[in-house]
Amino acid sequence: MGNGTRRDFLKITAATAGAAALPWRAQAASKSITLLHESSFIPAFDAYMKNTIAPLYEKTTGVKVNYELTSVGSLPTRVSTITETGSGADLTMDILLTPFLYDEKLADLSDIAEEVGKKQGGWYDAAKEAAVVKGKWKALPFANIGQLMNWRTDWFAEIGVKKFPDTWEELYEAGKKLKAKGHPFGFELGHGFGDNHGWMYPLLWSYGGHEVEADGKTVSIDSSETAAAIDFCRKFFQDTMMEDCLGWTDVSNNKSWMAQQISCTNNAESILYIAKRDFPDIGKVTDQAMNPQGPKGRFHFMNSISHSVFNFSPAKEEARAFLKWLMTTNALGDWYNSADSYYQPLLHGYDKAPMWNVEPRNIPYRDALATAHLPGWPAPASPKLAQSVAKYVVVDMFAKAAGGAKTPDVIKTAQAQLKQIYSA
Amino acid sequence: MTIRTEPLAGLAQRAPRGWSLSTWLDRESVFSWLMMSLPILFLAGFVGYPFFYGILLSLENRPVAQPGTFIGLKNFITDFHDPIFWQVAINTFVYTGAATLLKMVGGLGLALAMNQNFRMKNLVRAFLLLPFIVPTVLSTVAWMWMLDPAFSVVNRLLIELGVPPPGPSWLGNPILAMCSIIVINTWRGLPFYGITLLAGLQTVPPELYEAATIDGASGWQRFRFVTLPLLKPIIMIVTLFSVIFTFADFQLVYVLTHGGPQNATQLFATYAFDIGMSAGQLGLGASVALAMLPALGILIVAMTLYMRRA
Amino acid sequence: MVTGYGPLQRVLRVWLPVGFFMLVALLPFYWMAIASLKPNSELYNPNISSLIVYHPTLKHYVDLLTQTGFLRWTWNTMLVSVISTAISLVLGSMLAYPLARMRFAGASLMAMAVAAVYLVPQPLLFLPLADIINRLHLGNTLTSVILTYPTMLVPFCAWLLLGYFKTVPKDLEEAARIDGASRLQTMRRIFLPLCTPGFISAGIFAFTLSQNEFLYALIFLTKSSVRTVPVGVISELIRGDVFYWGQLMAGALLGSIPVAIIYSFFVEHYVAGLTSGAVKG
Repeated sequence: MGNGTRRDFLKITAATAGAAALPWRAQAASKSITLLHESSFIPAFDAYMKNTIAPLYEKTTGVKVNYELTSVGSLPTRVSTITETGSGADLTMDILLTPFLYDEKLADLSDIAEEVGKKQGGWYDAAKEAAVVKGKWKALPFANIGQLMNWRTDWFAEIGVKKFPDTWEELYEAGKKLKAKGHPFGFELGHGFGDNHGWMYPLLWSYGGHEVEADGKTVSIDSSETAAAIDFCRKFFQDTMMEDCLGWTDVSNNKSWMAQQISCTNNAESILYIAKRDFPDIGKVTDQAMNPQGPKGRFHFMNSISHSVFNFSPAKEEARAFLKWLMTTNALGDWYNSADSYYQPLLHGYDKAPMWNVEPRNIPYRDALATAHLPGWPAPASPKLAQSVAKYVVVDMFAKAAGGAKTPDVIKTAQAQLKQIYSA
Repeated sequence: MTIRTEPLAGLAQRAPRGWSLSTWLDRESVFSWLMMSLPILFLAGFVGYPFFYGILLSLENRPVAQPGTFIGLKNFITDFHDPIFWQVAINTFVYTGAATLLKMVGGLGLALAMNQNFRMKNLVRAFLLLPFIVPTVLSTVAWMWMLDPAFSVVNRLLIELGVPPPGPSWLGNPILAMCSIIVINTWRGLPFYGITLLAGLQTVPPELYEAATIDGASGWQRFRFVTLPLLKPIIMIVTLFSVIFTFADFQLVYVLTHGGPQNATQLFATYAFDIGMSAGQLGLGASVALAMLPALGILIVAMTLYMRRA
Repeated sequence: MVTGYGPLQRVLRVWLPVGFFMLVALLPFYWMAIASLKPNSELYNPNISSLIVYHPTLKHYVDLLTQTGFLRWTWNTMLVSVISTAISLVLGSMLAYPLARMRFAGASLMAMAVAAVYLVPQPLLFLPLADIINRLHLGNTLTSVILTYPTMLVPFCAWLLLGYFKTVPKDLEEAARIDGASRLQTMRRIFLPLCTPGFISAGIFAFTLSQNEFLYALIFLTKSSVRTVPVGVISELIRGDVFYWGQLMAGALLGSIPVAIIYSFFVEHYVAGLTSGAVKG
């Protein structure tokens, strides 16, 4: 934080005070809206909304913003209750595929989306993937929580690698050497939610494999490209990792990193953040890099967060107005700033924002946005896709192969599962 | 405790003749059904109704936040063709069978060991019950850490004995992962078995043992021909409860492995949860949950028959 | 009962097996205790023994009690468990008394029906129950769990109490009936007070099961202020993908203590109740 933020804050106040003379002043009625959010990894982010942005909005428009938090992992359950009962919040945060699961209960935000795109430098393509359901914007993409490669610069330097390997094969070679030196890799292959998807879907895509084609109907997992990705995954696991990784969930690689057992993993910014805060010696030698590329390109997993308005909300107009204000004024930039680039904006207008200078090691997260996709790409997101993710079709396919199963067998199983999901 | 008959005597004098409400209410059948009406209503409302509603759900395509459409048995056909469903079924049976067996044998051992007089016996008995009374998710979190090869005492020991580091992966290797959940479930449930069997052991009249000893029976024969037959009813009941609890177990797997690695520890309850809550397919999830019922029914009937015959 | 062994025999027959069971039962608790006292630098260090703490700290306990809703969750859990237990004991005895004492048409059918209800495990009901709770607008209220916990507790209490009731001699009730008391009066004033041990043991078991419940709480209670200890500890002592292990262990230990204390006072009754229920039932 520091001078930059204070100046920005003053800028917001000035700009909003001026703008308040115009459209927003019209809503003089004292109302309140409830914004449901999942508890952020960065406490300062939640505090900023509660203590700075919400009061500012109330002062400007008279509408009180109740910022309600639910614990990590509980958001889908909570949204489920709200949509089933028709009450409980006016706006909500969306994670990943929730706009597609609940789309019938979400308001159409296409007009606001267009305006935001114009004002903030245009949306990333990934943003449209995350929020457009059947041609309509049912959510306003807020950010991506990227999953990238974390690597120990000191141990990699010991084997002569100064820059993070560019291709999967190069990473594999480095991994073999590092495992021999007692610093194996640790990628999640178990039933977590982020750190497994973060490298497995990109791996599949970078070899050209697809679960389902862009038409959303044709199951195409059975291909030589998929087989190539699987074969790579098998040797990658067996020659560079510890057996325990097969059962890892999201917390395991964080724990392992702080226990200094692994030299490379795929994770969000949480490892660097915690390392800098609690284990500074480890923090000094931790760096982040984009996923390696395969024969068919470099890809990243999109873990998108968006905001939606419930179409049954009695304060729908106020909710939409708030969202528009949030996404088109400087409030947005300030909110991003409070989280130390943990959230990567999906708007090109923020590509050169000062927030990236705070921790240069986070810049790869911004660069990854151009190649980020939702799981199940190139098929459009849908409840069927959600089923494939919930049943760990791709994850288990890779994990079983890593554990020794034959490639044709695991492809057959995955295909049977996908056929059944997509034919129903 | 003494009974004060004065107020009751007063009642007798007021007893009316002929048919009256109070006499009718005192008839055994009337009283019984009236008395049971509240609990029956409660159970009908909160168990019966959801149960039948669950059956209806399983026959519908019911995505979350959308209305349901009737599709007959399609969900069950989907499950039938789902390779994971069958793995889940096998896992649940193996898990339940192995854990119950271990708990029965271990519990019997515990009961026999505790069926002796020694100092601090009551304190020991209280301590031994701890794994059972402590909330499962809390102790499971401790196990998560204990089974991490980097921190596990067992791995440490094995490495000392020459096993190459880091030692077995208790939660990564699919077979070991299943063993791990069986062990943790046994750890948790054994005290219940043991203390209950102990209570049963203590009701066996010592004269039977003396008679058997006089007849020349060895320790093992005493156990087989005196103890076991008398314990059978208790064993049966405790096993019944244990089987039901274990078959429908959710907490342990949810916290420890979430069904991994590669569905090696996925059980009916956790699979139904993933489908219903993560994928939002309430109908399909209900169908997986309902699949427990016939399996459970078969298990219980088989057990009852076996116990009756043996 | 076996008595009169020499010291060596005593060790072999008593202390070795008992000691083994004690070790197995208590090792995880020892681990929890040690982990909760270790500072993070020791906690994450795989090179030192995980069974010894070198620089114990109370930081995790302090953080747990001051920075999380742990105390609130404990209060919620106690409240829910006590009320659910009370409801279950009342409903359970209302079911068990007629089945134990009365003869009427449909009695055996009723007994089987109660047993059948017990066969319906929680995971079978959670999806439809979630729907019902939502429609009653009881989501995120303690009422939702207070109403749903007895569904698993009532059949068990009924079965346990049934077994216990059958062991109570009938003479006092018969005397009261002769004196003209109605059945209701007999039940309330004569019979039930005699059954305190049975109620205690059923009550303790019900209380324990309530404390342990996780699935319904996970689904119905998503607001921190209404959560119970199991759900609160698992859901909120993580941020993103980082477990606060020290606090988790501290929470696990603190969450176990109230239950353990209550048990230590009532374990006699618990065992007695189980016996009469199981042996004669």
